[in-house]
Amino acid sequence: MSSTPVSDAQLIARAVVHDDRHAFGELVRRHQSAVRSTLRRLTGGNIAQADDLAQETFLLAYRNLKTFRQEAKFSTWLYRIAYNVFLADARKIKELPMPEDAEGEPVAVADAATPSLSRQAALSIDLERALLVLSEPERAAIVQCYHNDLSHEEAAQVLDCPVGTVKTNILRAKQKLKGRLGAWSPQA
Amino acid sequence: MNTQDVDTADWLDAALEEAGHEHRAAYVADDGFTARVIGRLPAAPTLPAWRRPVIVLLSLLAGAGAFVSLPGAFDDAFRSSVALLVGRPLSFTDIALLLALCGAAAWTSLVYAARAN
Repeated sequence: MSSTPVSDAQLIARAVVHDDRHAFGELVRRHQSAVRSTLRRLTGGNIAQADDLAQETFLLAYRNLKTFRQEAKFSTWLYRIAYNVFLADARKIKELPMPEDAEGEPVAVADAATPSLSRQAALSIDLERALLVLSEPERAAIVQCYHNDLSHEEAAQVLDCPVGTVKTNILRAKQKLKGRLGAWSPQA
Repeated sequence: MNTQDVDTADWLDAALEEAGHEHRAAYVADDGFTARVIGRLPAAPTLPAWRRPVIVLLSLLAGAGAFVSLPGAFDDAFRSSVALLVGRPLSFTDIALLLALCGAAAWTSLVYAARAN
């Protein structure tokens, strides 16, 4: 007999009403991958820092679960907490991870040096490196809209800014990325 | 998506979309992460072990005090309510039997509640 999967809303209700930690654990299990990989993007690939921030994110979510109004998806709500935790941490340490080649030098086309990589894989590697040179709001907008597949409106909720700001940051980010990844342009 | 197939204006967008697909498809293994989060949750508020017996004792004392200070009121109220329920006046034997049953039920409930706690 197949059992119906319990929805996020049901798990949240159990966690809030009965302080059911197993229910909250199931929520963590379901969303840990998305939250941790998002924070890895935001921290520029610092896995240890991202996992620490992810733990803080879920602890904050647990403390504030009663305030979750189900107006947005639970994952969107978690992304917002994760982004706030990331910002607080970034302000605390007063530095954001910078790539080694962040001095404005265009990113090298990876497949020239590593011929065994497919073109797509090589572009992915160069894109990852190029994303690190974006400003924090630009990178956050790209991560939310492309990696987390949020709409501009949802990203604006997560990033706590107007929709226009999200669009502007994406536009600026793309301009920078085109400059950095110019060698990948079909015109190049 | 092969970036060679898209025009100049779209190649970066296509690359970002592809990176997004890869990001969402890549699952980060739990590796004890959930357990660490659950382990860091604040301790659940627990009632002290002595709380329930003290509440039971205080309730019994309060009931006994009220019964001693208002002896007639309890008897009248009990007789009237039972008479309403059974539709006839009760003898002392009936009342004693009911009281014994109620007492046994109350005692059983108290013992069960204390053990469950």
